[in-house]
Amino acid sequence: MRIYEDLRVVQGRLSVLQSMVVGLVALVLIHFWNLQVVRGRYFRTLAENNRTRAVPLAAPRGALLDRHGRVLVLNRPSFNVVLTPEHSEDLDAAIARLSRALGLGEATVRERLARRGAPFHPVVVKTDASLEDVAALEARRLELPEVAVDVVPLRSYPLASAAAHALGRVGEITERQIESREFEGLEAGALVGQAGLESQYNRSLMGRDGFRRVVVNSRGVEVGEAERQPPLDGPSLTLTLDSALQTAAEQAFAGRAGSAVALEPETGEILAMTSVPAYDPNTFTTGVDAALWGKLSTDSATPLMDRVIQGQYAPGSVFKIVMATAGLEEGVISPSTTFYCPGHLSVYNTVFRCNRAAGHGLVNAQQALALSCNVFFYQLGIRLEISRIAAWAKKMGLGAPTGVDLPHELGGLVPSPEWKQRTQRVQWYGGETVSVAIGQGQVSVTPLQLARLAALIANGGRLVRPHLVRSVGGVPIPIEPAPDLALKPATLAVVRAGMKGVVAEGTGGRARLEGVSVSGKTGSAQVVAKARLEKNPSLTAIVPHGWFVAFAPSEAPRIALAVLVEHGGSGGEAAALAREILAHFFGLDRAPAVVPSGRTADIEAATP
Amino acid sequence: MIDRRLFFNVDWVLVATTLVLAVIGVAMIFSATHSGRHADLYMKQLYVVGVGVLAMFLCLLVDYRRLADRAFLLYLLAVGVLVYLLFFGPRIAGTRRWMSLLGFQVQPSEFVKLVAALFVAKILADSRQETLGLRDIAGPGVAVGLLALLIAAAPDLGTAFCLIPLFLSVAFLAGLRMKAVAWLAVVLLVVGGIGWQYALKDYQKSRIYTFLDPSLDPKGAGYQKIQSQIAVGSGGLLGKGWTQGSQAQLGYLPARHTDFIFSVLAEETGFVGVSVVLGLYLLLLWRMLDTAQLARDRVGAFLAAAITATFAFQVVYNVAMVAGLVPVKGLPLPLLSYGRSSLLSSFLAVGLILNVRMRRFAN
Repeated sequence: MRIYEDLRVVQGRLSVLQSMVVGLVALVLIHFWNLQVVRGRYFRTLAENNRTRAVPLAAPRGALLDRHGRVLVLNRPSFNVVLTPEHSEDLDAAIARLSRALGLGEATVRERLARRGAPFHPVVVKTDASLEDVAALEARRLELPEVAVDVVPLRSYPLASAAAHALGRVGEITERQIESREFEGLEAGALVGQAGLESQYNRSLMGRDGFRRVVVNSRGVEVGEAERQPPLDGPSLTLTLDSALQTAAEQAFAGRAGSAVALEPETGEILAMTSVPAYDPNTFTTGVDAALWGKLSTDSATPLMDRVIQGQYAPGSVFKIVMATAGLEEGVISPSTTFYCPGHLSVYNTVFRCNRAAGHGLVNAQQALALSCNVFFYQLGIRLEISRIAAWAKKMGLGAPTGVDLPHELGGLVPSPEWKQRTQRVQWYGGETVSVAIGQGQVSVTPLQLARLAALIANGGRLVRPHLVRSVGGVPIPIEPAPDLALKPATLAVVRAGMKGVVAEGTGGRARLEGVSVSGKTGSAQVVAKARLEKNPSLTAIVPHGWFVAFAPSEAPRIALAVLVEHGGSGGEAAALAREILAHFFGLDRAPAVVPSGRTADIEAATP
Repeated sequence: MIDRRLFFNVDWVLVATTLVLAVIGVAMIFSATHSGRHADLYMKQLYVVGVGVLAMFLCLLVDYRRLADRAFLLYLLAVGVLVYLLFFGPRIAGTRRWMSLLGFQVQPSEFVKLVAALFVAKILADSRQETLGLRDIAGPGVAVGLLALLIAAAPDLGTAFCLIPLFLSVAFLAGLRMKAVAWLAVVLLVVGGIGWQYALKDYQKSRIYTFLDPSLDPKGAGYQKIQSQIAVGSGGLLGKGWTQGSQAQLGYLPARHTDFIFSVLAEETGFVGVSVVLGLYLLLLWRMLDTAQLARDRVGAFLAAAITATFAFQVVYNVAMVAGLVPVKGLPLPLLSYGRSSLLSSFLAVGLILNVRMRRFAN
């Protein structure tokens, strides 16, 4: 029999170790319960985020078509060279190779990479790369696994600078836009409309981006696709513009600065709108070049301003349409009321001159409009008084934005004693009413407002809302009924006859067309205010802006327009320009020009 | 020749538990690697399971006491191999842990653990004192410490740490006075502090720093901990299904077939799978400590306890690491992790335990 060792101490202490093991395993198990069961949902979300990554699929922006379906704005495929730093094993070597292949400076590439966003998101190194670039990269495909070429739709404006302000432009979303509610859900780098219709209808044009939810491994390399939501293309917009008429309007300016806008009088559909000088929106599509932007935005010729809706000028004699209407409607004058014009009017201790120093003699409203007699309207203004003038100007669509479907429209100004008291804390003085009566002084209007004014006379007194978009994705936008001013037939008859006379025998003779009777009104907007003139007499050399508003044919108008030629002197030049647009509209392009006879233009002077 | 009666005393529960764990390991290795470049690793592991079982039973042929008698010789051999490795071993992944033996890559430190167990069991069993003071264990302590230092210099900190519970548990069983136990705790703390200052490499320190705050470096040292926690947590109660774990399959898990194999298991089989496997480990450890209780002599009890302590430390540390409870260290999970040396060493360890248990009645 063997004598066993005494192992009691050992066995006792072993029990301690045994319970320690059980205790430790139990502790670990409790921790796993906490991780897997209690916090399981949280970790599942983390795992899901690890696993998949959403890759946006850009929806192509909708095209813009003219009223006949001709393309004004479209997308063309372009190549973006992108680099994903996370996929690179030797980023420095990759940058060196890539910049050599693209002919870019290494610093440029590095600068672009420094602006990157989220990890694993490809960084665009070069936008709109040429086919040569793409070929060069394809040849080096194996050397540059971290570089890819994306095909992205790029905005293209085939008309270049024509209608640039109306169509607008696209650009990368700005920091401030990202934070605004209007652009909710968009990320840095997204292309959004930054001006014109591109901006106004941005949401609609953008469509809805799709996405691919891709499964990626820990290196971010795609290994499969979990979900795909195809992008919803932006619907195309059919505009009211007529691209041929638009081109005619652009060409009519022939280097002069100014703007022209033509409407369909019954509906307010804008047939053409041009503002020159303009810019080429194609230069913005791949991102704004800082130098170019600086040049455009500081240019004294303001090419970025849409003069049709943002240019605010004194209406000059065009305002006489408002005056005549107001006088007749208020019963201050009748169609047969005459005033005697001796060539000037002395009132409020000032001598107000007529455009014809010799005077027009006895004139009624119709004749005063045709001849643009200032004295008649001085007299009428004194009798109407500023409050009724302002009320009628506002009724006829001045002093407030027209509501055109374009962003940043300005409203011009219709002055009144209340306005003067409010803004300048100075009392209205009677002489100002006399100035306002011929559209000078503080009155200011946009070309679009005056085009609508012409349309209002043409359509019998309805204040249409000018607009540029007929239908979105084939769905017509309903035209809201235009408020009817319920003008007396006699009023309309006098104003229309007066405007017909302007072209037939008055100051707008240069707008005369063979076979189509044109009604119009000239005007000239003083550029320099009276106060500045007194301080600096040399400023008189500055030529005023010339206006011409018109509708045609006189009997059954199909087009109403307003033309402003900056520093175009009297309205004669504007009338000639309007004639070119009208000639195109009526298909008379090749007809010989009608030599204007008699008077050429009105030269106004509101200053004594 | 082995006594046939001994065969009936083999602990078949322990053998079965070991085999089930090893097979689960193979299945998880398959899941972790089947889509990658080394899709055949599970087959390699399976071969080693076969070799391991063979080695486990071969290990039974020799009485553990005869092995323990040669412990000093084995110790010298271990020191020799580790020193050789340190100076002449090939550099693999920045470390000198492996050596080539008969055309196989072998990690000697895995087997040094067994040598250390035999050595400590033998020395302390021979001391034959009722109680031990610090002075009594200083000699063997230094001897084991030398092994630990040599392993740590490889560097292989995880395996080196395994020797601490090995030595302490045997010293505790051998009758170390409670006062000495307390002293030892103090000494360990001080050594730990000095080790932190001078012995740890920067990558080891940064691992510990990021363990305390993983967000310091989510793509670097904290990455493993974060991704492993996500894998474990996202497994939920029932798991995502075998070979369906996104963290494991898409490569988010580091060292997923080796040190982090339990993370794959937790993700794909959920809390249920975790409980089953931890239950199996608990059964394994319980049977091992049972063997220590049943051992007929001190050498056997100490040997069983030393091996169990190492095993328990590795299991608990590895699983706690996977769950983000302790800093990440290169420490495989016995029987489950891919690794030929680790697996073979685990089977040999079980073989030694079986050896002690089946000879509990023998002369």
